[in-house]
Amino acid sequence: MRPIAFSRTAAAVCVLLAAAALSVLAQPAQNASPAQQAIGKRGGTLTVALRSEPKTLNPALATDQSSQDVIYCMNADLIHINRLSQRTEPDLAESWTVSRDGKAYTLHLRRGLRFSDGQPFTADDVVFSFRVYLDDKVGSPQRDLLIIGGKPLSVQKIDSYTVRFVLSQPYAAAERLFDGFPILPRHLLERAYRSGDFSKSWTVSSAPSQLAGMGPFRLAEYVPGQRIVLDRNPYYWKRDGAGQQLPYLDKLVFLFVPSEDAQVIRFLSGDTDVLSRFSSENYSVLKAQAAVKRFHLDDLGPSLEYNFLFFNLNDLRGKNLPQIAEKQSWFRDLPFRQAVSQAIDRTAIVRLVYQGRAAALAAQVTPGNKLWLDPAIQPPVQSIDRARQLLKSAGFSWRSDGSLVDSRGKSVEFSILTSSSNAQRTKIATLIQSDLSALGMNVHVVSLDFGAMVDRLLNSFDYEAAIMGLADGDADPNTEMNVWLSSGGMHIWHLNETGPANPWESDLDHLMNQQLVTLDYAKRRRLYDQVQQIVARQLPIICLASPDVLVGAKDRVGNFSPAILEPYVLWNVDRIYGH
Amino acid sequence: MKFLGRRLLHSGVILLAISFFAFLLLRSAPGDYFDAMRMNPRVSAETVENLRAQYGMNHSFLVRYADWMGSLAKGDMGISLAYGTPVGPLLWPRARNTLMLTGSAMILSWMLAVPLGVWSAAAKGGWLDRICSLFTSTLLVIPDLLVFLLLLLMAVRTGWLPSGGMTSGNFADLAVWQKAGDLALHFALPALGLAIVSLPLLLRHVRSAMVEVLDSPFIRAARGHGIPRSRILWRFALPAASNPLISLFGLSIATMLSASLIVEVILSWPGLGPLIIQAILSRDLNVVIGVVMLSSVFLIAGNLIADVLLFVSDPRIRVE
Repeated sequence: MRPIAFSRTAAAVCVLLAAAALSVLAQPAQNASPAQQAIGKRGGTLTVALRSEPKTLNPALATDQSSQDVIYCMNADLIHINRLSQRTEPDLAESWTVSRDGKAYTLHLRRGLRFSDGQPFTADDVVFSFRVYLDDKVGSPQRDLLIIGGKPLSVQKIDSYTVRFVLSQPYAAAERLFDGFPILPRHLLERAYRSGDFSKSWTVSSAPSQLAGMGPFRLAEYVPGQRIVLDRNPYYWKRDGAGQQLPYLDKLVFLFVPSEDAQVIRFLSGDTDVLSRFSSENYSVLKAQAAVKRFHLDDLGPSLEYNFLFFNLNDLRGKNLPQIAEKQSWFRDLPFRQAVSQAIDRTAIVRLVYQGRAAALAAQVTPGNKLWLDPAIQPPVQSIDRARQLLKSAGFSWRSDGSLVDSRGKSVEFSILTSSSNAQRTKIATLIQSDLSALGMNVHVVSLDFGAMVDRLLNSFDYEAAIMGLADGDADPNTEMNVWLSSGGMHIWHLNETGPANPWESDLDHLMNQQLVTLDYAKRRRLYDQVQQIVARQLPIICLASPDVLVGAKDRVGNFSPAILEPYVLWNVDRIYGH
Repeated sequence: MKFLGRRLLHSGVILLAISFFAFLLLRSAPGDYFDAMRMNPRVSAETVENLRAQYGMNHSFLVRYADWMGSLAKGDMGISLAYGTPVGPLLWPRARNTLMLTGSAMILSWMLAVPLGVWSAAAKGGWLDRICSLFTSTLLVIPDLLVFLLLLLMAVRTGWLPSGGMTSGNFADLAVWQKAGDLALHFALPALGLAIVSLPLLLRHVRSAMVEVLDSPFIRAARGHGIPRSRILWRFALPAASNPLISLFGLSIATMLSASLIVEVILSWPGLGPLIIQAILSRDLNVVIGVVMLSSVFLIAGNLIADVLLFVSDPRIRVE
């Protein structure tokens, strides 16, 4: 009996050790924010401009950035991504463990916390929140993140302060999922949810008494078209190093200022205290006045946004687009795409479009994404000679006037679609037009309203090439599954694929699926490095540049610690204070 | 009353036609509200399709138009896809702000245009007329946008006027007289901008109408009778020249509304301008149609008022 008992003990110890090891992996590598930030003083108001009015204050329905910015300040999630370190840290859940198979996450909630209306926070609120997020009738934009391996995760209350999440398959960095799922108060929303009126709850015009969250601020006032005012949540649980209750600020005011230039002017005239999401042109203008007007600007380096050129590789059968279908023989030709990539002067894009405040790209991961960048892949240096050799090898030739023709004698001419609402991308298209003219290609730039452009890219496929940008709220590759999987809804260069169109797409599918279930970061990284290498080699999208994140703040704003993850300047709003 | 009843009936038919064609045109525009969501890598195509079905986006044009008409009858004007609320309550506070701005700008511009136009016609060819002519020609060639930006620049440089918004952040804490002062300060810049851009057209019309009347035999006769110049100008000539000006009043509402959309965006005025621009960009169809309908109502109401004023002021129209 004794040996058996021993082996059971040994097995139990092994299980515990494995669980501990996995939980260590899942725990934050760094818990930077509180330690790095100064002890502030209570009081004061911070005024921030939003580009548009928030459309809703309901965390399960918000899709626009303005709503998300306001919601961020009023709510909290179980596990949070520290925007500076880009790693997870405990929030409403003070700790968590992961099962040996990596499928079950047990979260231990902090005790004694209250919503901003004074009601206690328990596991019931967590279970209710995830039921709402998973309900397809609610139509939450976050819902797809909770569908893993084709099945929704399940949520189970163990006791009042313990919740277990069970996934259908191991999911790498699953704890990152919890960031972006604010916990909803069951006592305020359950009735609306059960009666099917959830989508009408927590609109911007809802009375402040109808809303409650676990974040540092709560709704005080909404003036249509003008501003939304938040005041301090008296029940907020966080304290600073000196034991003082956070947040420091009494009020947070969001003004609705509908254009970038107007936002810059309001910042200059002292109406707002912090500024973000502005162009490098405005950065230069502001820089000259920084000392006089007592503010400072920060260039945080490349963002997570990657801008890219891509060709229409969609299956156009049944679309009645014969001219584009004919040109697809060039676009599908790898040397053609390589030649285009080689001819583009990315340094000129960085210099002329972004005044040097951007980084040239070789693949989709930007230098801002330190955890996932493969430094071995360097952006191509412009070489017209190399591009010409590539075209020649693919059967292209040049007429006496220098224009490029294919092997059938057809002139190489195509158009690049851009969104008129993004002046930088239109400039990029113009520079590419000029670069490609050196190869004898006749390129036209077509600037369309964003809605019309999206319709062509996603529905009609009536385009030849396009420039667009993608940016995700998280640095982790899992949120880009829809882009890289051949079955993904954002597999933008070739949508509605029934299966991988070629071997390298098959490799992309395999690598992305593999990294999704690999729990070890180093192994995942090797897999995702290969994804980047395939993108840089096969060029389904030709990555161009990533603009820097530019921010500014009045000198009197304390603990201003901007990050390249959204919300750039407000991620630590509970610790911001006024001098 | 019969005249007013007929005009109201016409207005109703025009509004119905506008709603139908606005619906038809906007529905024909490429893309819809949910396309932007499809560009989010985190959201699957299936989720977007579910939402489309949930909001009735797959219904035919006529079904959606009928739904909208039903909602109009309730005063909702449809549901905004972005805000998730009825469009009506979104529009009313913003429409009030737009009306307050355009109303005060119209009063200001007419208060400037009438005396300047009358004096400039009375002193035709004189220094005042030449200065007015130079002033209006210059303003006519400057785009509205530039005028607003120059005013904004002036406000920022001098700090005399607020650079945007309708009230200060601490408005709720102010005393009544302070609130009035705060509102007036915030009104000054956009109202002045709107008045400046609409002034040249009004001034020129007032002047030309007055020049025409001042040349007429009855004015010459009045002069011959030794009636004082100012009495001739204000008592006899101006009422006689008022017909085209009253018609112009109705038309100037349209100019003012379109200019106010720009100034509202530049100066963050919480009116219909920022709302419709956001709605157009995000393809929030019901909000766009709501703003179009409301602007049409303003325009038609302005013309109706002009017609009634003409009816009152001109006996010939009453006879017709």
